[in-house]
Amino acid sequence: METLILELDAVGKSFPARGGPPTLAMDRVSLSVREGEFLSILGPSGCGKSTLLQIAAGLMEPSAGAVRVAGRAVKGPPPEAVYVFQQYGRSLLPWRSVRDNVAFAVEHRPGMSRSRARAVADAQLAAVALTGFGDHFPWQLSGGMQQRVALARALAAEPRILLMDEPFSAVDALTRLDLHRLMLELWEKRGLTVVLVTHDVEEAVALSDRVALLTKRPSTIARVVETGLPRPRDAVEVRETARFLELRHELLDALLTRGGHAG
Amino acid sequence: MRAERLLAPLPGLLFLALLLLVLEWAVGEGLIRRALMPPPSAIWEVLRDLLLSGDVLPPLAATLRLVLIGFALGSAAGVALGTAMGWWGAAYRLLEPLVEMLRPIPKAALVPPLMLFLGIGDMMKITSVALAVTFPVLVNTLQGVRGVDRVLLDSARTHGWGTGRALRHVVLPAALPFILAGMRTSLGLALIIAVLSEMLTGQGGLGFLILDMQRSFLIRQMYAWLVILALVGLALNALFAWAEARALHWQQRQ
Repeated sequence: METLILELDAVGKSFPARGGPPTLAMDRVSLSVREGEFLSILGPSGCGKSTLLQIAAGLMEPSAGAVRVAGRAVKGPPPEAVYVFQQYGRSLLPWRSVRDNVAFAVEHRPGMSRSRARAVADAQLAAVALTGFGDHFPWQLSGGMQQRVALARALAAEPRILLMDEPFSAVDALTRLDLHRLMLELWEKRGLTVVLVTHDVEEAVALSDRVALLTKRPSTIARVVETGLPRPRDAVEVRETARFLELRHELLDALLTRGGHAG
Repeated sequence: MRAERLLAPLPGLLFLALLLLVLEWAVGEGLIRRALMPPPSAIWEVLRDLLLSGDVLPPLAATLRLVLIGFALGSAAGVALGTAMGWWGAAYRLLEPLVEMLRPIPKAALVPPLMLFLGIGDMMKITSVALAVTFPVLVNTLQGVRGVDRVLLDSARTHGWGTGRALRHVVLPAALPFILAGMRTSLGLALIIAVLSEMLTGQGGLGFLILDMQRSFLIRQMYAWLVILALVGLALNALFAWAEARALHWQQRQ
């Protein structure tokens, strides 16, 4: 039987509204993520995708429902999960070198010396093709490189599940494809589970095993699509297959014509 | 480029030299009474003797001691209280009214009541300086801690950092530019209050000497000590600016 690494059970979230009843942002979202899969949560802008991911990461409390990571109820950030922020530039410590930013993920662990934390950091920087940039400061790097630093930091923590919030949305198209390839390579090599939040249909289809389609507010999951695309795959070449185009058409259609509404 | 940087302060320094020459001339011509304002050259002679004989050192050391100890204690208190108030809502609600009550009082006015409790010794003077230093540091630290980016804090949380580590390794470094700005303001205040408390207690240091010389009609000496005080202020500021630039080297973006 497959292990479920992340389970969302009828998760709801409402935010207090000024002079009125709370606004319901998310309603009864249920989703199970299998260990080792690459799942994307696709939805229109402002549908609360990030909120959902932050709840899964234990960074935000749900108003209703239950969240389990590796079978345990989530109360605060679970050690199995690491969250990668959309605002990579703001998630790095500007006063630390690139190497020390990556070491940030492990240096607080028991028995971890400073030199070992740095060795771990250098190894992860090599994995994201940033060897030689350890002594730079984050602001000396391009946006795509900064996001790779954030990725190296997340990987250094050796999480079982990576929760990624539109991690490739703020870089140019070419850099994005580059990062897609890197992401698939890392995912295949390390047996990670990835949950990726995005509004980019092509990104979701090209990378994922399954795509969960989220509706507009109050958002809920309209359906979950198995992509059935072959593995290992190349993030660029896969875009030329008939199955990719079919899925792209289907999901775009769902997002556009039905406005992402359920049913 | 390097030459430009060296030449940049030149007009200002020339203007200063010109003012001194005009002063010298005006006093020599009798436009300013010699008894009130000796010519700069006469002040320079006294100043030179003070510097060469080493007589400058004991009072200078006494005042610097007050400034530095008071500054260190006040800064530590300001950072600790400001961090607590910026991080824990309960601490903010508890302390905010008290801070807002005490903050607007010119700390110079607290020297007389402090003399009642602590006498006229160093304890009182250091307390006065520390009090003056605390508030600007506190307010800036509070602002800095509150302004720390949510994304940065959540990064620490998702990587399993506890509150203590996050405060030390994320919040304080992020708030450091604010904290240092508050400390820069406070350094000037520390010197003011140190000199004033020396004047009010009539004891030791540069403040007392300036007052004492004025009362003894040793006007040239008074001005010489005043120049020394100005140089102390200048040196403290330069030292702090240097330390600040080093601490914030990572900010040299753009």
